[in-house]
Amino acid sequence: MNLPALRLPGTAIMRLVVVGLLAAGGCSLLDDDANSDRLTVFVASSLTDVIGDLATAWESAGGSGLVEVVGGSNHLAAQLRDGAPADVFITADAALLDLLTPDRTPIAVLARFASNHLVVAVPIDDPAGIRGPADLQRTDTILVACVIGVPCGDTSFERYGDLPIDSYEPSVRAVVARLALGEADLGIVYATDVAAEPRIIAAWKEPPACPCVIYTAAAMTERGRPFLEFLESDHARDVLATHGFAREAQPPGSS
Amino acid sequence: MSRTPTQAPRSVLVVAILGIAFLALPVVGLLQRAPWSSLDDLLGRRTVLDALRVSFTVSAMAAAIVVVLGTPLAWMLVRVDIPMRRLVRALVVLPMVLPPVVGGTALLFALGRRGLVGQLLDRWFDITLPFTMAGAVVAATFVALPFYVMTVEGALRTMGDDLEQIAGTLGAPPLTVLRRITLPRLLPAMGAGLALAWARALGEFGATITFAGNLPGRTRTLPLATFQALESDPEAALALSLVLLAVSLVVLLPTRDRWLPTR
Repeated sequence: MNLPALRLPGTAIMRLVVVGLLAAGGCSLLDDDANSDRLTVFVASSLTDVIGDLATAWESAGGSGLVEVVGGSNHLAAQLRDGAPADVFITADAALLDLLTPDRTPIAVLARFASNHLVVAVPIDDPAGIRGPADLQRTDTILVACVIGVPCGDTSFERYGDLPIDSYEPSVRAVVARLALGEADLGIVYATDVAAEPRIIAAWKEPPACPCVIYTAAAMTERGRPFLEFLESDHARDVLATHGFAREAQPPGSS
Repeated sequence: MSRTPTQAPRSVLVVAILGIAFLALPVVGLLQRAPWSSLDDLLGRRTVLDALRVSFTVSAMAAAIVVVLGTPLAWMLVRVDIPMRRLVRALVVLPMVLPPVVGGTALLFALGRRGLVGQLLDRWFDITLPFTMAGAVVAATFVALPFYVMTVEGALRTMGDDLEQIAGTLGAPPLTVLRRITLPRLLPAMGAGLALAWARALGEFGATITFAGNLPGRTRTLPLATFQALESDPEAALALSLVLLAVSLVVLLPTRDRWLPTR
């Protein structure tokens, strides 16, 4: 190697190291002062497209800024259990809240504030020519769905049963991406994903049905409580409805 | 050898030991939480056996391709005066520093069904790589290749080409020189590079799940199965991590600490 020789006396190097460490300490790598005046909201990934609008509505209603952490509900729950700083946790699976205790008990819970149902979607040019539910069993197509264990995967399994799936994706966003990029022929996603992603369409028309996903919000800190109240407001409900979320959960047995 | 070891300044030793502790602590953390008593049961599960089989097949095939592609590549980087060598070298090393998820996405855009080359594969040969074991091999090869090339390249550089020059002046054709002189001297480095590349291929996650998807028995490798298990069954995830740890150590341990050929 013929790198230009960079000559630093040992003491200079040590000084650099010490200065580096001090600077890192000064930037508070270990605490989250930077976000102290903002509300940290952990959001299920199926709410990705709506949380931005909800944040805008919340701020226009006088709320502080939001730090949105979007991810699979299970991952977020695991992070919360391990001490991740969140003021609000919006989950697609209410059962995850029980798993948080005793380490992190929510101080308030807003149950069933919105719901979302599954649809079979295809890329906009429908490369495999999907016609109806029978095509779910075709083996000459590439079918993707969420993995069992995450809310969209569990709900898919409850609703459609055993299918010849080609890939179990870690989150519904990954399924949407497969379809949007045309790598898969059909996939099981949420109605809201079809509404938000112009490159995918519903494979066939059918009325919304359950088993479906019902969202629950939990305040993890006292500061998170007002956000739960906001979610119940007309403003928030309008935003959710615009994105295709059902206002309330389907009553049991309606499917 | 017979040289006396260098006297180590104590301060340096302290920092070095700190470094070891930093690397070893997570392993200890894993081991102390391991479900030793139910390990038998956990590892006998179908999902684990499937993942083991997929991982073994995929990483072995990737390792084989790495040697075939990587040896000439390393040789060319050192011995041939190629134009824009720096750029070529940077390209070769890129997968080492690129987040694997980005690598997987890039592979999709290149070799996916609608990708640059992938759409031709699909149209002409009816081959689609994503969601197949071949796709997982491609992903593993992409991330593992630089480890092999870097190792072999370093060895070639240290080795110099004096012997090759002499053989050449004595009339040996270039391919004979390569086969009889260069390759035999390079074998230890090739072994070390192979071990590193194999271990990297075994641990590959991001590019695999992005490019090849996740299907038990086809593309769900040990790391994918571990990630999966973390969602629903942390005990099984720990058991899988142990397997991954053990297999990686088995692959890495035989690597000798002095694999560079002496001049």
